[in-house]
Amino acid sequence: MDNAIAWIFIFPLFGAVACALLGMVNRKFCNPIAVLSMAGATWAGVETLLQAVASPQAEVSYILGGWTLDLFPRGVGIEFRADLLGGLIALVVLGVGFIVSIYSKLPVERETPNKESLFYTLFLLQITGLAGIALTGDAFNLYVLIEVAALTGYGLIAIGSNRAAAATFNYLILGTIGASLYLLGVGYVYIKTGTLNMVGIQEVIMANHLMDSATMQVAFVLIGLGILIKMAFFPFHAWLPNAYCNAPSTTSSLLAPLVTKVMIYVMIRMVLTVFGVEFSFESTLWAKFMPWLVVVAIICAAVMALAQREIKKMLAYLIVAEVGYMVGGVWIYNYYGLIGSIFHIISDACMTLCLFLGAGIILRKCKTTHFDGLRGLFAKMPLTMIGFFIGGFSIIGLPPTCGFFSKWYLITGGMVSHRWEYLVVLMFSTMVMVVLFFRLIERIHLAVSESGKNLGKGHGELGLTKEQTKFDEAPLSMLIPLLLAASIVLIIGIYNQDVVDQIERFLEPLNLPKGTKD
Amino acid sequence: MKWISLVPVLAVGGLLLFAAKDFPEWGDPQSPASSSPVSSHFINNTGVDTEVPNMVTAVLADYRGFDTMFETVVVFIAGVAVIAILKGSGRRRGGLRKDHEVEAEPDLIVTNTVRLVVPVIQIFAFYVLAHGHVSPGGGFQGGVVMGASFILLALAWDLDHALVRMSLPKCIIIAAAGIILYGGIGFLSMLLGGEFLDYAELEKVLPVSREMARYHAMLGVEIGVGFTVTSIMFALYANLSSEGRLKGGL
Repeated sequence: MDNAIAWIFIFPLFGAVACALLGMVNRKFCNPIAVLSMAGATWAGVETLLQAVASPQAEVSYILGGWTLDLFPRGVGIEFRADLLGGLIALVVLGVGFIVSIYSKLPVERETPNKESLFYTLFLLQITGLAGIALTGDAFNLYVLIEVAALTGYGLIAIGSNRAAAATFNYLILGTIGASLYLLGVGYVYIKTGTLNMVGIQEVIMANHLMDSATMQVAFVLIGLGILIKMAFFPFHAWLPNAYCNAPSTTSSLLAPLVTKVMIYVMIRMVLTVFGVEFSFESTLWAKFMPWLVVVAIICAAVMALAQREIKKMLAYLIVAEVGYMVGGVWIYNYYGLIGSIFHIISDACMTLCLFLGAGIILRKCKTTHFDGLRGLFAKMPLTMIGFFIGGFSIIGLPPTCGFFSKWYLITGGMVSHRWEYLVVLMFSTMVMVVLFFRLIERIHLAVSESGKNLGKGHGELGLTKEQTKFDEAPLSMLIPLLLAASIVLIIGIYNQDVVDQIERFLEPLNLPKGTKD
Repeated sequence: MKWISLVPVLAVGGLLLFAAKDFPEWGDPQSPASSSPVSSHFINNTGVDTEVPNMVTAVLADYRGFDTMFETVVVFIAGVAVIAILKGSGRRRGGLRKDHEVEAEPDLIVTNTVRLVVPVIQIFAFYVLAHGHVSPGGGFQGGVVMGASFILLALAWDLDHALVRMSLPKCIIIAAAGIILYGGIGFLSMLLGGEFLDYAELEKVLPVSREMARYHAMLGVEIGVGFTVTSIMFALYANLSSEGRLKGGL
């Protein structure tokens, strides 16, 4: 079907409006509407990706409004372009959205009572925005969609409680600064190139030799800075932990896997498609000091994660560290590093989803996600814990989870380009994650009390009463999405070569260095 | 320590000025933004493609209509988010006396002036909305003027007085209707065989040429924008001015 790519945003957009209207009649309608429209959109996403894979140019181009692409530079009308990179990321967004929409039924009822229709309206529009970001081929349209995703994000976080609202305010200020910087950058690009189409901009840069133009250099810095703030790269991460940790659990399971990752996608898109490899890596100062910023970012985020005593907050700092990985994979300027970055976007989205879905279930069952309240959880909810730890093992990078393979490519990239400092921090942060997750496992499995005293009398003895360890699994509507996410982590891990093949097909024409630069 | 914030301000400001030396000359017809085929396409073909005399409207609602659709969605989101955040928060802090809940008789002069002015404002809003094709104006501007007329009612009497005419559920319905109208026109053109928002395909259901179909569809989407902006303007005012309690005057 030719219009599959349009259905990707039609389903959630009209679904959101339907939630706003029918939710006023009966708020029980909202969850089924959300699940159905996400199912439809996911189907459209699969269809679009298959079309892109099948087409000889490896992309699907769709001009909204039926305008022409024949002009040089192109740019009349707005283009939606699903190449293999955009198509993959869009599918990740939609898949995560679909899984979370199933999961959301019970938590939304409990955490935001009487606000279901407003919640699902924002939820679906969030996915519209994020999927649109992954697919749009127009630099200004990207800004509009970033706004859609950001505003819905503020609403979805602040809807929970007064504390969440306070955390959102920081996010709002920083997010607005980031988006404004991006917009300024797009303005500067437009004044020099006269087009907003991403491919068009690169054509003009190439044709008019704008590599050394001061305006383009500044535009690159502004856009880059804006996106770094939006993706919570280390010195700009301050908004993220509080916002994600106080948000309703549905919100954090939707935003945590997607928002930062989609912003990294935007950075890759800007570097590869808009400004071009030559401009980004060889004519800018930026490319020289970014790898060192990444080193600082990963170390700081990993250490801060180590200091947390609360699951959701620890996961939030893990996200900041993971952002450092992916940014580093891009700026070491290497073919394998970029494969790693792109693959890690996909796998990080899946494993973060697992962890946050798990954390949401723990919060529901134990009323706390503090480390001290976890003892005996495995006996109580074995399936939930298996799902949660598959996510955790993937963050550490144990085979056969997808996290292993994406980290493998990142490490290969660091090695072949002789970026030893990047390699060392990757290893360091992997060690930190091992400590983090095995400390959790210890808390859950062993009879260690809050003060560190051993309460157990022998093997398998937790020092808890029978009631405290009675089998009490999460409700199915929450458990099934978690296990689905966990199995996706494993499936992507096992079939990693198929994903990497598509990423390689996307990166092949760009002539990235496969060894050291010189 | 406030002066520290000056550092990033000066840095970004300096960066922006540094780049300005590389800008094309002011008003230079040879600059890429003026001479690029994209701009010339808009200038030369707007009349031919769409029959709309106002180029700005054509770029806004047709060439880049997809942006405008999502701008409308952004307005809708802003309203929904504010309602969602404030809903029920008034009750939680119910014990405190609010200054703006002091009962006061509406002022005779103010209410009578408003009574006279509001119909004029609303007619003007329709004019701005409908005349967007030939003169400055359009859905956003018309919607803001319309929304302001309801806010004026709330200011002159109190919030309840305005809420009788424009209740919160009504706001959401009208705002959603605006999105449905805009998206629906785009969707209809897709069902009729074009791309999403390809208004020209509407000629199959409208008794007009392809160009005039674009012309009329643009009016349609502008009306959709006007719906959403009007109701969200008022919904934002009603919620923010009363901290989500939806009663009392300012």
